[in-house]
Amino acid sequence: MVENARSINIAASILLAIGILYIVGPLYLTLSTASQSYEYMLRNGLAWVPGTELFANMGKVIHDTRIPVQMLNSMIVAFSNALATCALSFLSAYAIVYFRIRWAGVAFALILATIMLPLDIRVITTYQVASNIFSPLNGVLDFTGLNSLIEMVFGAPVQLELSVLDTHFGLIAPLVAHGTGTFLFRQFFLTLPKDLFKAARMDGAGPIRFLIDILLPLARPSFASLFVLTFLSGWTQYLWPLVGASTPDMQTAVVGLARLVPDADGQVPDFPMIMAGAVLVSLVPLTMIALLQRFLVQGLVLSEK
Amino acid sequence: MTAIDLSIRAAAAEIELIGVTKSYDAKNTIIPAIDVTLRPGEFTVVLGPSGCGKSTLLQMIAGLERVSGGRIVIGGREVQDLEPKHRGCAMVFQNYALYPHMTVAENMAYSLKVAGVSKSERAERVATVAKMLGLADYLTRKPSQLSGGQRQRVAIGRAIIREPGVLLFDEPLSNLDAQLRHDMRVELAELHRRIGATSVFVTHDQVEAMTLADRILILNKGHIEQFDTPKAIYHHPASVFVAKFIGSPPMNILEVEGDGSVLRLADGQVVANYSGTGKFQLGIRPEDIAVNEGGSIKTEIRYREDLGSHEILETKIAEQNLRIAMPFGVEIDTTRTLSLSFPQARLHLFDGDTGRAIANAFGGAQPASVKEYQ
Repeated sequence: MVENARSINIAASILLAIGILYIVGPLYLTLSTASQSYEYMLRNGLAWVPGTELFANMGKVIHDTRIPVQMLNSMIVAFSNALATCALSFLSAYAIVYFRIRWAGVAFALILATIMLPLDIRVITTYQVASNIFSPLNGVLDFTGLNSLIEMVFGAPVQLELSVLDTHFGLIAPLVAHGTGTFLFRQFFLTLPKDLFKAARMDGAGPIRFLIDILLPLARPSFASLFVLTFLSGWTQYLWPLVGASTPDMQTAVVGLARLVPDADGQVPDFPMIMAGAVLVSLVPLTMIALLQRFLVQGLVLSEK
Repeated sequence: MTAIDLSIRAAAAEIELIGVTKSYDAKNTIIPAIDVTLRPGEFTVVLGPSGCGKSTLLQMIAGLERVSGGRIVIGGREVQDLEPKHRGCAMVFQNYALYPHMTVAENMAYSLKVAGVSKSERAERVATVAKMLGLADYLTRKPSQLSGGQRQRVAIGRAIIREPGVLLFDEPLSNLDAQLRHDMRVELAELHRRIGATSVFVTHDQVEAMTLADRILILNKGHIEQFDTPKAIYHHPASVFVAKFIGSPPMNILEVEGDGSVLRLADGQVVANYSGTGKFQLGIRPEDIAVNEGGSIKTEIRYREDLGSHEILETKIAEQNLRIAMPFGVEIDTTRTLSLSFPQARLHLFDGDTGRAIANAFGGAQPASVKEYQ
């Protein structure tokens, strides 16, 4: 608390109230619209008064749209993304902090640099690679002239092709590797007593044993917070699932939600149903936050407990 | 249950370092070459200023650092290429390095668990060690719920539970406050007597070295300056470095010149009789200087520090600092010139260039041979 003066308190409360209104307002509008019928909306526009049609609208979403299957896709993508990100970040941070590696600093800088190159920027290249994951290899073979050599010997150049577009793997893999998680774990490892690794070695525990017995249990809060954060970002991803999956059965819930708006001109979208869908789709991350918010804070605070 | 104290008892191993060297690259040599033998059951304190290579030396014995050359023999076995767990050493770290998520009991039993010792035997050994270290009431606590002294005790317990032949200590007391440090020192000495493992204790604190060690190994820039009993090191320092490092306040070192019959200061005052010629460094401890007993060396007090039990007088002779320690109760007139004499038997003479002690310079007791450790 910086100041305790009454006038400042009042001003702060007003500011806070405005902030809450700003955040809660749209949420309220979503909920109230979701609880009205399509006809009500056609007559009155977005609803400020809650109605009674919420479950009916939700039922419509579940029966008439692909949202349930798409939520399952979102679940698979977000969950696998979170799990793989945690594992990869944990292992890379372990290598950087606990082993004397040549160029460890450079490697870490490169990993951090990925934060500045989010998927949105490299979406076209990512699409190219996803449409044929061997394209980088083919490129290298072409560039180094190895392919012309192979062509001379075997009669044909190597041109491997495997597309991961429209698969779960294709949706997940490009999201997995990013610097934030590695950074989080690295910072956490640096707060641990620095002789811990040596002490474990003296106790007869090798690097793997140390990883499993000592680091893993200690890093649990960091794991939980990174898991929640990547799960949420995986769940709300829009651009990559939009590009990477083209059939409705492969698309994620967020993309499916946007597709509920009809393409045809002149037709008024069924906003109550769309809003009900939005509420449905938000339930999963909301539950997630409600259950794990304790870890979310603990893991980000990075203090030794 | 009186026998319990004896149930943790190590088979002490001899440690031999033969031409051990350590360098990180061609330019950075930490330890040029060390040859030393530590007797079984001996408590050796490795003493030196920071950066002298003492921790590196300890970690090489432990197996946490690779040697660049030479051999390490523990209990008759060459171990320099073995993993730490195969060397029969245990180590106590400066910052305790306890596993934060494990209880005291789990911390101590971890090495046994890794080694595949059965659960019941682990519990038994933990109980024994905990009793020995007064930790029996804290076994279910986490390290964060313990005080510094208790944590250090857990770290010691973790080390001795395997009954290692060699116990290594890496400045284990430097994180404790003064009172606790003293108590732990006493405890460590007692523990060593009971367990009997060959112990190597690294510190930069001369009090710890003097009180704990059977023998002190003084390291300077990776070289052994002297390896001898605390008494011998105090009374017969083998070099100027050792003389300045041990004792509080440290020994006075004066630049003198010999003309064949006496040693003179730069201003011509005669300080001692000596037959050598050339430049020398003359050492005398602050408490050995005789004041106002008809001495011929004149000086004036620049500053006095009353420490209760004794008093330190800061003086200067021939532009060189000289400290004098006066016992409690001796009144000195600070306004008058002091006349000092240096009792011949209390003087130490060092070579002017190499700084090594010159044996038998003034008759009487002499520095122990440097050869003893080789």
